[in-house]
Amino acid sequence: MRLGDMVIEPMTQRQVMEFPYKHSTGPIVGRFLAALKEQRQIWGQRVSGGAVIVPPQGYSEWDGSAGTEWVPVEDQGVVVAVAKVWQPVERLHPFPEPFAYVLVRLEGADTALLHVVKTDFDHVRIGSRVRAEWLPDGERRGSIWDIREFRLLPAA
Amino acid sequence: MKCSAPPETPVKYVEAVVWLPYHYVAGDYRAVYLRALKDKKILGSRCDVTKKVFVPPVINSPESFAPCSELVQVSDQGRITTFCIVNIPVIGRNLELPYVAASVLLDGADIPIFALIQECRTEDVHMGMRVEAVWKPDGQRQGDHEDILYFRPSQSSSSGEWPRPI
Repeated sequence: MRLGDMVIEPMTQRQVMEFPYKHSTGPIVGRFLAALKEQRQIWGQRVSGGAVIVPPQGYSEWDGSAGTEWVPVEDQGVVVAVAKVWQPVERLHPFPEPFAYVLVRLEGADTALLHVVKTDFDHVRIGSRVRAEWLPDGERRGSIWDIREFRLLPAA
Repeated sequence: MKCSAPPETPVKYVEAVVWLPYHYVAGDYRAVYLRALKDKKILGSRCDVTKKVFVPPVINSPESFAPCSELVQVSDQGRITTFCIVNIPVIGRNLELPYVAASVLLDGADIPIFALIQECRTEDVHMGMRVEAVWKPDGQRQGDHEDILYFRPSQSSSSGEWPRPI
């Protein structure tokens, strides 16, 4: 039998490939995350030149030198970049419903933290003021999602 | 609550699951090959130029690059060309250790398939050993690779000429 002589019904199958990674946080990000859970506090780290890095990386992105003291920052700040996701992809994005990714420069910090705005996300824009919406005590697990989202604050 | 430093004990890890949903399309040859397993038939394709038979069937020969436009049936018996004794459990494969994974050159084929060998002591397995497929019982075969449960030492001699036209 030759291929051209055959009528072949298509055959398909749905498959899921899953990689259950555990991403090691290391001592610096590890303490940053522990503080979210235990202190409900966002910490940055000072690097040479005086800038405060949030989230802390343990080194300076400018010259590679080691980070120095820990510095507490506020849980509110200014949006410096926005990407609105109108059609989330299942499990690639954190939620099934539309939301916005934001980079937030928190008060006291010199770099921006990546997070999301869900409530009224269509109103968020560069320059919007936002504040962290924390999970209650007992529900925080030492993850960036201990902050449920950032919520828009009324314009000052 | 004001603290002077973040907790001394760090979080050790975060979970980062990668989840990739695929919609796999078998293609013409693989569809025909899988459906034939339901009828206890193993198909290959024959190169138009070299006449070599590839199992599972391929559209083009990886050797000559010529089309393999004829589908043929090969035997469900063959010969072990090489093998490996597995002593380490594999996630997702619940087999009693040790077991043998082997390359089996089916009668009528020119390339071996990868197969599990059972009903045999691992120390008795050898290159050139004759083996035969053990199929799922009639009515239980689905037209997938699980239709061949494993291979075992041949209990009957292979009959006739292989490969055969279909």
